[in-house]
Amino acid sequence: MIGIVVVSHSEPLASAALDLALEMVQDAPPPIALAAGTGDGGTGTDAMRVSEAILSVDGPDGVLVLMDLGSAVLSAEMALEFAEAAGEVRLSPAPLVEGLVAAVVRAAGGASLDEVDREARSAASAKAEQLGGDGGISEPAESSGASDADSADQRLTMVVTLVNEVGLHARPAGMLVKAANDVDATVEVAANGRGPVDAKSVMGLMTLGAARGTELTVTASGPDARRALDAIRELVEDGFGEDR
Amino acid sequence: MADPITVEHLSAWLRHFAATVDERHEYLTELDSAIGDADHGVNMTRGMRAVVEKLDAGAPEFADDLFKAVGMALVSSVGGASGPLYGTFFLRLGTKAGHVSEVDASSFGQALRAGLEGVIARGKAEVGDKTMLDAMVPAVEAFERSAADGSGAATAADAAASASEEGRDATEPIVARKGRASYLGDRSVGHLDPGATSTAMLFRSLATALAA
Repeated sequence: MIGIVVVSHSEPLASAALDLALEMVQDAPPPIALAAGTGDGGTGTDAMRVSEAILSVDGPDGVLVLMDLGSAVLSAEMALEFAEAAGEVRLSPAPLVEGLVAAVVRAAGGASLDEVDREARSAASAKAEQLGGDGGISEPAESSGASDADSADQRLTMVVTLVNEVGLHARPAGMLVKAANDVDATVEVAANGRGPVDAKSVMGLMTLGAARGTELTVTASGPDARRALDAIRELVEDGFGEDR
Repeated sequence: MADPITVEHLSAWLRHFAATVDERHEYLTELDSAIGDADHGVNMTRGMRAVVEKLDAGAPEFADDLFKAVGMALVSSVGGASGPLYGTFFLRLGTKAGHVSEVDASSFGQALRAGLEGVIARGKAEVGDKTMLDAMVPAVEAFERSAADGSGAATAADAAASASEEGRDATEPIVARKGRASYLGDRSVGHLDPGATSTAMLFRSLATALAA
């Protein structure tokens, strides 16, 4: 599993962002380290602490570093000079809170550094999408191999309706990601004429803007396609465990 | 007159800069409150106090060890962008100066150049962006020019200090393009850049230390 480092000027900000992200991966979060604030509890960043944080979550799968603004970026760049990490260390251009939530969920599913990096980067476009515009940012990725010519592959499709109050917002999306991660299948979700998006991408799912009553079209292929659909149907029909 | 420059001169430079920053921290913070987040004075004071503590604990004998200690102290104690920027300056400066106990003006000019290039690479800024580089670039150029004329380290440092002060003053009418001040756009006009101001102090301290 890749490691994640949070660099912020503020320790309370970093801790709170981390709490928010961890709510979505209660059972098996990736290794995460914070490097936030100055040593004496003030506002600021410290390249040495960033370096130590990187080494504390380092491993062969690599480390993704998320930062807030200004000197957090400079300190993280500086830390790369100090930290002799075993795996690749990458600095993410993602916005801190949104990027962290996206990255933690994706990393918990065992995704590679490339996949987690991409997921974090998509966080800003997911938000723009939710606000009803594309914000000049790219649309969610098109589905691959969706043509009818692939019919030799077993592709199963179902349509389910969201019954929970808040629709496919962050927490339910995180649960759906987990269900998709737990099986050996490629799962995609479309709704509202949008998508399909990768069901392992919490930010992708949120771009669908699926509220209560929305019909989700879920497509799965691969050895566990049936199990994937069953698990997702159960989650959706159960309202993701929320009050309905 | 200081030629060659000894490690004692260099320590005196850093102590003088620390004392200046300490004494003028309210002024630096005032400048930073106009166009930044009002912490430059506090941050630089904290950083340079950490540097002085290291010097007090036993001043290194060689230029590279001295500047490595200085750079690391700044990187881990300043908190703001000036930590990695000044930290990089001193780390590169020390690496270029090498494992020596004294250095001539020309070699020290090359070391200053290496420090400057580190800051440029770290901050991705250039002259005219309203940053410390507006004072540092002319300072290093003036030092190199003067050293090439064979006028000695103290004269070169004095030329560098004057050039950095002119560079600092030139930041007043500029619209900031880097750092927190860039969020203010046109409202950053009419204020000296705090980073350029502390950099001018750095070079004036060098001139003072080498004149002694």
